[in-house]
Amino acid sequence: MQHRLSAEDRAFQQEMRDFFTNRIPDEARTWHKDGEVDPEALRIAQRAMHDAGLAVPHWPVEWGGKDWTELQRHIWRTEMQATGTPPPLAFNTNMIGPVIATFGSQEQKERFLPPTASLDIWWCQGFSEPDAGSDLASLRTTAVRDGDEYVVNGQKTWTTLGQFADWIFALVRTDPNAPKKQMGISMLLIKMDSPGVTLRPIKLIDGGHEVNEVFFDNVRVPADQLVGEENKGWDYAKFLLGNERVGVAPVGSIKRKLADAKAFAAQTKTAAGTLLDDPLLAARIAELETELMALEVTVMRVAGSSHDGKPDPASSILKLRGSQLQQDVLELITDIAGPASLQWQPIDGVGEWAAESVPTYLNFRKASIYGGSNEVQRSVISGGILGLKG
Amino acid sequence: MDFTLDDEQRALQSAVREMAGRLVRQATSGDVAVGPQPVDREVWSSLAEMGLLGLPFGEDAGGMGASAVEVVLASSELGAARLQAPYADALAAAAMVADAESAPDGLLEQIVEGSQLVFTALAEPGRAWDPEHPETTAVEQDGTWRVTGRKLGTTALSEVDAVVTTAFCCETACVFLVRQPAVKDGVIELDGAEAIRLGGPELLQAGLSLGIVALAGEALGCMGAALTMTTDYLKTRKQFGVPLATFQTLTQRAADMYVSVELARSTALFAAMAISENATDGATASRAKALLGRTGRHVGQEAIQLHGGIGMTAEYAVGHYTSRLTAIEHTFGDSRYHLGLLARGLADHEMVDVLV
Repeated sequence: MQHRLSAEDRAFQQEMRDFFTNRIPDEARTWHKDGEVDPEALRIAQRAMHDAGLAVPHWPVEWGGKDWTELQRHIWRTEMQATGTPPPLAFNTNMIGPVIATFGSQEQKERFLPPTASLDIWWCQGFSEPDAGSDLASLRTTAVRDGDEYVVNGQKTWTTLGQFADWIFALVRTDPNAPKKQMGISMLLIKMDSPGVTLRPIKLIDGGHEVNEVFFDNVRVPADQLVGEENKGWDYAKFLLGNERVGVAPVGSIKRKLADAKAFAAQTKTAAGTLLDDPLLAARIAELETELMALEVTVMRVAGSSHDGKPDPASSILKLRGSQLQQDVLELITDIAGPASLQWQPIDGVGEWAAESVPTYLNFRKASIYGGSNEVQRSVISGGILGLKG
Repeated sequence: MDFTLDDEQRALQSAVREMAGRLVRQATSGDVAVGPQPVDREVWSSLAEMGLLGLPFGEDAGGMGASAVEVVLASSELGAARLQAPYADALAAAAMVADAESAPDGLLEQIVEGSQLVFTALAEPGRAWDPEHPETTAVEQDGTWRVTGRKLGTTALSEVDAVVTTAFCCETACVFLVRQPAVKDGVIELDGAEAIRLGGPELLQAGLSLGIVALAGEALGCMGAALTMTTDYLKTRKQFGVPLATFQTLTQRAADMYVSVELARSTALFAAMAISENATDGATASRAKALLGRTGRHVGQEAIQLHGGIGMTAEYAVGHYTSRLTAIEHTFGDSRYHLGLLARGLADHEMVDVLV
């Protein structure tokens, strides 16, 4: 066992810290403004990372990957998040990129992977449907082959940042008579400006517009935009969701937020000093720091035990705990804001953080729902690890 | 950071597992021991023979020269086997003797070989845990230290040969060794007892850090075994004509237990690595103790609940783990105490960095 970083890993950590501190333009760091994502900030940050060869380190080397160790990836991710840099768009780099690199045709790889890595193409995910959320395999959107094209009809929902997307990767039913609902599903790459695609915003409880409904009305999709083989889409989706889950232990972001919370508490005056001196609040922060330390060392233990790039089933812990802690820290910030949280507009003499605290808290209730709800993660653990199958 | 066990560490694990399993079968053949137990001499000499009492100490004192990581691996096996032995306490006491400014010649060797029973006596009756602010006092007269106060141990002290205790002197809490202390009704009565000054607060912290790491390992063993018993039970026990594992409310709760156990495992091993490098890293020890406290309660309580009535019985082991986890929570400071320490140090750092 080894507690300290090796000299090489320490040098790597310093290199990442320098890069994310000095080479990311400042306007990219305020990528969440007034409750909305600023797409330009994401493009600026991902372009800067791409230019430095740091946007897709986990991809195959021939497509821009770095062949890093899991520890190096963790350091890269944590240093990025700790500086407030927006991460590379997950739909591009964690989801469809690895799927195309693994299952796509050579022509698809050449066509899509470079602009996917640089965010010259913005992807969104077309998996969930009104009646197929966690029960994804119940999806009903159909694709019928007609010559060199598929004709797509149906509806997707919860399509995150779809309003900025150039392309959508969608799961569609190509064989409605398949014996099991997981079979007969295919994955199609569809241009968002194709005739027959319409997007309707869904407003969320934080007042923001982040997710959308996407409707397909006789949308014609060239057959060469089918990923891999027809009716094998479920396999690709499982591969993709495994990657998604591993990506969702945002330790660096939670650390950044918790450090911010301490700074906010130290700015907030009480009769006896500041809120940071309040024993109940201080104990709560100390406990969150403790829980966060436990999560981070678990991230590293799980990362160290992954084999062949396949996600460890224990990674469900990371999704479960990561989302809980993220929510706990945001809840803490609303409590620190206290009376200043009652208005969602900035108040003179109080930082903008207070006005944003409740919308952010409400927005991140999503963290325990998306990417496989926490109940689904518990089922993965109880069934897959503990062998508790009813 | 690397959590991979090497061959020697795995060999240590399986050797301790084999020994603990053998000893427990003897200890539990008859009435099952649930509550606090006196030190079992046979168990103690087995620990000594295997080298566990000297695991983290130098070979010149008869120790194994291993690290706190090996301590966690060994104590985890003792916990899983339900071997009631004040192992963590003995290591904490021995660590303070080992690093003392001056200690009796040969005492560490005698502790390591199991011929001298030396434990800590750091709590005081009627006072919350706070070893750095003892009511007990010490004065020096003619070159001899004398300690006055009342102390509690973590284990039944009827056979103890010496205790490591704290007393206020030199404007701080200092660590003393008292031989053959007078024990009355479970309390150590020190009335001007002759003592040897071992060191100051840093020595205390180093000893407690090692003790906390050993406790963390034991708690981990208890939790892991309680989880295994619970999942096995859910698979086999039938209610309403189907296995309990059919009921999602139970399997979801078992999944949460697993999460607690795995967070505890990473934390215990990480703390052991950190303490091996820096014995006075009190913040990491406090975080480990607080985390193990929370996860220990969670896993212990759920283990009983998911078993139902059988979990309440003395002849079924799942409750023994919960009993031991409860004792561990109250040894060397509970979660409240350690979170309090951490809360007072919040302004010293922006973030908790584990990658150093």
